[in-house]
Amino acid sequence: MKIRLAFSILVAKLTIKLCRLVQWGGTSLPGKLARKIYPDVLKEIAKNFSIIMVTGTNGKTTTTRIIGQILYENKIDYITNRSGANLADGITTTFIEAVSLKGKSSTLTALLEVDEAAFKSITDLVKPDTVVVTNFFRDQLDRYGELYTTLNNVASGIHKSPKARLVLNADDSLCASLGRESDREVIYYGFGTEFTHGDKAVGSKETLNSDATFCLFCRSKYRYEFRSYGHLGRFRCPECGYERPVSHVTCLSVDKLTSSNSEIRVIIPEKNTCRDSADTCNPPCSPGLNAVCAENPSYGIIHEPDENQTGFQHPEKDNQTGQQLTGTKHLIQPDIALPGNVYQVKVNLPGLYNIYNALAAAACGYALGLPAENSVKALESFECGFGRMETINTSGKTIKLILVKNPTGFDQVIDYLLTEEKNMQLAFLINDKTADGTDISWLWDVNFEKLQAIQDYIENIYVSGIRAEDMAVRLKYADIYTDKISIQKDYNRLIDTALSRTAEGNCFYILPTYTAMLEIRKVLKKKFNLKEFWK
Amino acid sequence: MYELNICHLYPDLLNLYGDRGNIIALKKRAQWRGINVNISNVTIGDRFDASEHDIIYLGGGQDFEQKILQEDLLNEKASEIRNGIENDRVFLCICGGYQLLGKYYKTCDGKEIEFLGALDLWTIAHEDRMIGNIVFECDFLKSETCDGKIVGFENHSGRTYLGPGVKPLGKVLKGNGNNGEDKSEGAVYRNVFCSYSHGSLLPKNPALTDYLLNLALKQKYKDFTFLAPLDDHLEELAHNSMIKRILK
Repeated sequence: MKIRLAFSILVAKLTIKLCRLVQWGGTSLPGKLARKIYPDVLKEIAKNFSIIMVTGTNGKTTTTRIIGQILYENKIDYITNRSGANLADGITTTFIEAVSLKGKSSTLTALLEVDEAAFKSITDLVKPDTVVVTNFFRDQLDRYGELYTTLNNVASGIHKSPKARLVLNADDSLCASLGRESDREVIYYGFGTEFTHGDKAVGSKETLNSDATFCLFCRSKYRYEFRSYGHLGRFRCPECGYERPVSHVTCLSVDKLTSSNSEIRVIIPEKNTCRDSADTCNPPCSPGLNAVCAENPSYGIIHEPDENQTGFQHPEKDNQTGQQLTGTKHLIQPDIALPGNVYQVKVNLPGLYNIYNALAAAACGYALGLPAENSVKALESFECGFGRMETINTSGKTIKLILVKNPTGFDQVIDYLLTEEKNMQLAFLINDKTADGTDISWLWDVNFEKLQAIQDYIENIYVSGIRAEDMAVRLKYADIYTDKISIQKDYNRLIDTALSRTAEGNCFYILPTYTAMLEIRKVLKKKFNLKEFWK
Repeated sequence: MYELNICHLYPDLLNLYGDRGNIIALKKRAQWRGINVNISNVTIGDRFDASEHDIIYLGGGQDFEQKILQEDLLNEKASEIRNGIENDRVFLCICGGYQLLGKYYKTCDGKEIEFLGALDLWTIAHEDRMIGNIVFECDFLKSETCDGKIVGFENHSGRTYLGPGVKPLGKVLKGNGNNGEDKSEGAVYRNVFCSYSHGSLLPKNPALTDYLLNLALKQKYKDFTFLAPLDDHLEELAHNSMIKRILK
């Protein structure tokens, strides 16, 4: 037994206890101390785990949570960095909580949300078996640098993990490029066709501020068959032919988008899962979840998908959600999607962007060889929390906390607000601390102009946080009625005033940047007994 | 009725850091005074005639996108941009757009990339980026109601140096400005205004926005006298709170 390793774990464990005792999250400090004492601690204790990593710009936390739910539905025990502590220290803390002083653990699967800028360095220490990438959008340029720097960081992290299978967004030309000409297993997810919601085409037309208009490989302008939002969609480069790859998990239609959930039809194929235990499996299959396989032989180890699966006709009949549709045939072009069973799913979070997160998680489930029904169950039951559409109900009124951190994410939240059909109170909390990005000029890339369409529903707008005044100016220049806007920097008063003006049955939306979210959560926690963020 | 034609050059490529905010500010502050505004988006392969536009805007972009447009700018649109400048069109150029008007850009490995050469200035690449809030002072904005202070955010690795043919836009009070050495920020030549201060430069600094609108209107209409005042309560709050915070 390595004394230094044990000592570093001990110190970190004690620090965790102490942090909890004084009601302080302490998600990073214990890991930091352990790494000071024994720099290889993370490398050492993580090596026995099967590791799933989730990275990308938007949707990491939500996708991680849905995958967690999928693992849960499959009775797979796992550890995860729940509170978004997604840098090396936080990840070290996560492992230390799970292991004994010898560095051993009975849980053998780790599900990790990893910061996209830290991904490259973390893969030096922890070797993933599965890497899920959500998307790439411009985000906090003062901190991450240019978008292509982030993409290259993730690419080199992947390069350093040769045995990792990839789960990639087919609709994102930047993300999908990570799987191009790769001889490893790559699973793609995305939207199969253009879709409508009511009479409106869901998804955006070409926007000037699209983050990837030009081909990554030859710099020609992409052509799009359709777009969902931002630069996501069915892209094709007319010059070099780089195009959206065929997806494994594919959303066929969005049947309903409401302010609380969305109903979709989705193809989730199924791999032939290995029914053998880890030691009798022959030929040995993908090492991904070997450990799990031994414990839970019904699913876990993965064989290659059945080559004989042919035809692009998907049976469907039933309209109940969560069910495989049987009966009538659904046609889909073979250059868009792989065949598989079609499921009607009610995704337990609203917003188009969360459908992508759901697809990413379902694709991860498929990659791991888990049965599709369990993934569907997870999509319908998972809860996110921690500022991602976190809901508090109080005396018949609802408070919804939705984190905003970059233009594309913010635009998606605004699109979500447009689905609200009742009167609402609305608060923007804008900080410019390091974790938020010290540059707030991105607010000018957000389409607040869209709010004009619902301004009669918005009873009051509160702006708060360090940059409340800049937010007020942004709204004024988006032609939002200035007499509805008030600057309120005191969170307690802001919550009290807004709630007193919220009618029963209606909603008070709070849209904070990252550190503002932490701050207002503290206030909300006191008022309404929210869960501690490290739980 | 007065009318202004504003040209956004390469909006699909030079669109970093909320550069769109400058267009929105020009448009709104003109419209609120009953002035008609037309915005033309002109990009690669599009025809560009400087005389059709009263205000021409060039923003900043990422390296990847800037490389894409370089050829179109230097070969197709260069002479029209020079014409526009010499014919006193109003230009606003930010960050990358500012650098592109200069003579050359020297990369870290010593290569000199020839730029437009419309303005007597040049840029030298550097490993470290200069990132942060900036406050500078413009003498031409000073009046009874305005102290000439401008607040912005800079994020650039290039260091720009001015030749005798241009004047700085302002004097740095806090931050780096052109090169972090000589306290100069931005450049002015005829009716061309350049700055490293990106994104919400104009919305947060209504005095500068109005100065540009005024200049363009006077250029276009002989009978134009002055811009009607607006209620700038919110803009002043945003402007003053940042100045106070940065200069403290």
